[in-house]
Amino acid sequence: MSGNAHEIHLTINGKDISAPPYLSVIQALWHAGYPRVKSVGCLEGVCGSCRVMVRRADSRQVTTELGCQVLVEEGMQVNFLLFPTPTHHRYQLDEIKNSWEVQARFHQFFPEAEKCRHCGGCNTTCPKGIQVEKGVELASKGKFREAGELFGECVLCNLCQTACPESIAPNHVGLFSRRVTAYFHTRPSNLIRRLERLRKGELQVVT
Amino acid sequence: MKGTPIEQALAEYTAAAQRPAPGAQPDTRELLRAFHPDHDAHAKVTLQVGPNKGDICHRQVAQLLQADARIDEADLAGSPVTETDVLVIGGGGAGCAAALVAQQQGARVIIATKLRLGDSNTVMAEGGIQASIEKDDTPQMHFDDTIRASRQVVDRELVAEMVSDAPDVIRWLIQQGMQFDLDDYGDLMTRRAGGTSAARVVYYRDYTGLEMMRVLREAIRTSDIEVWDYSPAVELLSSESGYCAGAVISSLKERQHKLVRAKAVILATGGIGRMHLNEFPTSNHFGATGDGLVLAYRLGARLRDLDSFQYHPSGLAYPQHLAGTLITEGVRSAGAYLLNGRGERFVDELQPRDHVAAAIIRECAEGRGISTGSGSGGVWLDTPSVELRNPGLFEARFPKLIQLGKKCGIDPRHQPMLIYPTLHYQNGGVVIDRNGQTNVPGLFCIGEASGGVHGRNRLMGNSLLDIISFGRRAGAHAAGRAHDRGHKKISIEHLSNLRRELTLAGMPLDSKGPLLFPGYANFENDSDYAGLRKNSEREGMQ
Repeated sequence: MSGNAHEIHLTINGKDISAPPYLSVIQALWHAGYPRVKSVGCLEGVCGSCRVMVRRADSRQVTTELGCQVLVEEGMQVNFLLFPTPTHHRYQLDEIKNSWEVQARFHQFFPEAEKCRHCGGCNTTCPKGIQVEKGVELASKGKFREAGELFGECVLCNLCQTACPESIAPNHVGLFSRRVTAYFHTRPSNLIRRLERLRKGELQVVT
Repeated sequence: MKGTPIEQALAEYTAAAQRPAPGAQPDTRELLRAFHPDHDAHAKVTLQVGPNKGDICHRQVAQLLQADARIDEADLAGSPVTETDVLVIGGGGAGCAAALVAQQQGARVIIATKLRLGDSNTVMAEGGIQASIEKDDTPQMHFDDTIRASRQVVDRELVAEMVSDAPDVIRWLIQQGMQFDLDDYGDLMTRRAGGTSAARVVYYRDYTGLEMMRVLREAIRTSDIEVWDYSPAVELLSSESGYCAGAVISSLKERQHKLVRAKAVILATGGIGRMHLNEFPTSNHFGATGDGLVLAYRLGARLRDLDSFQYHPSGLAYPQHLAGTLITEGVRSAGAYLLNGRGERFVDELQPRDHVAAAIIRECAEGRGISTGSGSGGVWLDTPSVELRNPGLFEARFPKLIQLGKKCGIDPRHQPMLIYPTLHYQNGGVVIDRNGQTNVPGLFCIGEASGGVHGRNRLMGNSLLDIISFGRRAGAHAAGRAHDRGHKKISIEHLSNLRRELTLAGMPLDSKGPLLFPGYANFENDSDYAGLRKNSEREGMQ
C-alpha cells in the first residue's frame, strides 16, 4: 500500500465510505469493513455478477456498470443491484429439425423479440457497449450469424433484460443466435477427420 | 524488491521484432527447487488426521482440512429435505457438463452453487482447450506432453482417457452451441501451448472460457435442471452403510439450512486461489476457496498432491489494484518475449508454466527484475515485439487483453506489461477413477477439485478439457445410480469421528471449514447470515 495516497469519499449502498483511489467500489466496500458476498464474481469483468448503478459527482445521469470495473471517485454514489430472475425461455437446440426452421422456431421461443420499440434502453444499460438493439433486430430478421457476432463480449449480466419495457431478453436472443450458428454451421473438417480415425480405433494411446 | 525502477526500465525499453536468445538454462529440477513457491519449506506441514494422515500438505490447506465443521446436529432440526437422483455441487464448467449429461440420461438433477450459475474459474479461462486434431498431431503426443509436464507424478490412465476424449469433447461443445475461431475454410484454428510438441489448443479469441460458460449456462437454464444459486454446501451427508447420500446446503437467499438427499453427489467446487497461498495474488474467481476438498476429506475421500499448486507466469504486477489478473499464455504462444530489468531474455518463454514462473521469481529475487517502488515488481511481457511481427494480431485475437490494457492505461501493442507469477491452479485434489468416482461410494469429484490428471504441473488448455471430459463421464455414471433405491437414513454422523480424531491429535477446534469466502469479504461478520452459524456458537455469543 502506498502511504501517500489520499482517501476518496463516496457513498455505497447509502453508506459513507473512504477508500484509497486505486480500489474498485467492491474493494472499497470491503476496505471499509462492510461484508459483501452476493453480487461478487470473477472480479475481472467477465461474469456479469456485480451490477451497480453509479452517479458521479458532476453528473445527473445514472449509469449501469460492473462494480469490479469501477474505480472509486470523489462524491460518487453507488448502489448494488441484485441479480434478477433468470430467463423464462425454454428451448432445446435439438428441437430444431434443421437450419431452415431456425427463424420460425426463434419467434416461437422468443415471441417478444419482434415487439422491440427501439427505445435504446438496452444499448444504454450495456456495460460492454454492445449494439444490443441492433442485435435483436437482426435476429428477428433471421440474420443469426450477424446478430451473434455483436454479442461476442456479452457477459450475460442481464442489464439489457432489466431495461427492456417489452421483457425481451436481448442477451438471450444474442446467445441463441450464437448457439444456432455453431450448432448448424460449424463443421470443421480437421476435427471430423480426427473423430473418424478415433472411431476406427486407429489412434490408441499406449500408457 | 530490488531491481531496475519501472520508470527507468520503461525509458530504456525499445520495441524490437527480434531479440537474442536467452543464455544457458539451468536444469528444471534445480530451478524449481530453488525458486518455485511449492518448495518453500515454511509452506509444508504433515497432516495429523484423516485418510491422508502422514502426508505432506500445504500449511493453509491443512488448516482447513483439519478444521471443525460449521454445523452440528442441532442446526439441522427442522431443515427441509429435498430428494433428487443426482446432486451437483458447483456451477462452473465441470458441474454444468455433468448435470447436462446426467439429465439427458433421465436422472433428476439439482445443481447447488455457492454464488450464481457460471460464477467460476471456467468463465475466466482465456487461452483455450487442448485437442489433438491437426494431422501432424496424435492423442499419443498429447499424452506424452501431459505426462512430461506433470513431472511424472500423475495417474496415467486418467490422462489416457482424457486425451482420447478430447476431439469428441470439442464436438460436444459445438453441439451445445459453442463457437471457436475458424479459418477461411471453416476448420478449427489451433495454437501451441508452452511445453507441448504440436499446435493443439483450439480457442475462441481470448474469451474461450466465457464462450464455453455462457453456452453451458444457457443450456442448463433452458432445460429442466433445478438450479439452487447462493447455496453453498457446508457438509456432505452419509448413509448408514458409508455412502455419500447428499449434502447440507446453507441457503444465503432463504437464510436456512436445507438437506438434499441424493443417490449420487458430484463435487465440482473448483480450486483454492482465494486462499492466497503464500500470500500470492490470484487469478481466481471470488468463490475459489477449496470447499470441496474439505467436504470430501471429512467423509473419508483420499486426496493427492496437496503440496502442489500452479503459479501462472503472467499475472499482472502493475498497476497495483489489478495485481494478479491473468494475461493468457496465448500471448507467449503468439511469440511474446519475457525481458528482465536489463532488457534481456532469460528463459525459453514456451517452457512449462512451473519452469517459467520459477525463472521470473529468480530474476526478481536476484535483483534483475523491475521494481514498482511499492515493494512489488516483475519482468516485462514484451507484447510490442509481437505487434511488430504481426500487425493487428492483438486486436483480432486478444480483445480481452486490449480491454485490460485500457484499464491499466497501457496499450500493450506499444508498451510492455509488467508481470509476476499469480496463484492460478490447484494441481492435486480428490483421488478419482476414470469415471470421476472417489473411494467413497456415491461420491464423485471432477474438475479442479479432483487430482491426478495434471500431476504437479498443468499444461495450458488441459483444464478446460479436463472439466468437460470428466464432467461428462461422472454425469453419465452418477445417472446410472438413479435406479438405486436410495438411502434410508441420512446423517452427519461422520462428524463425530472427525471431532474425536481432532481431539485425540490435540488439534484446536476453533477454526471452521469449509472457508466459503475469503476473509476480506467479511462474511463471518455479516449479520444477515447469523442464522446460518452454529447453534452452540450463537448461544455462546449471547
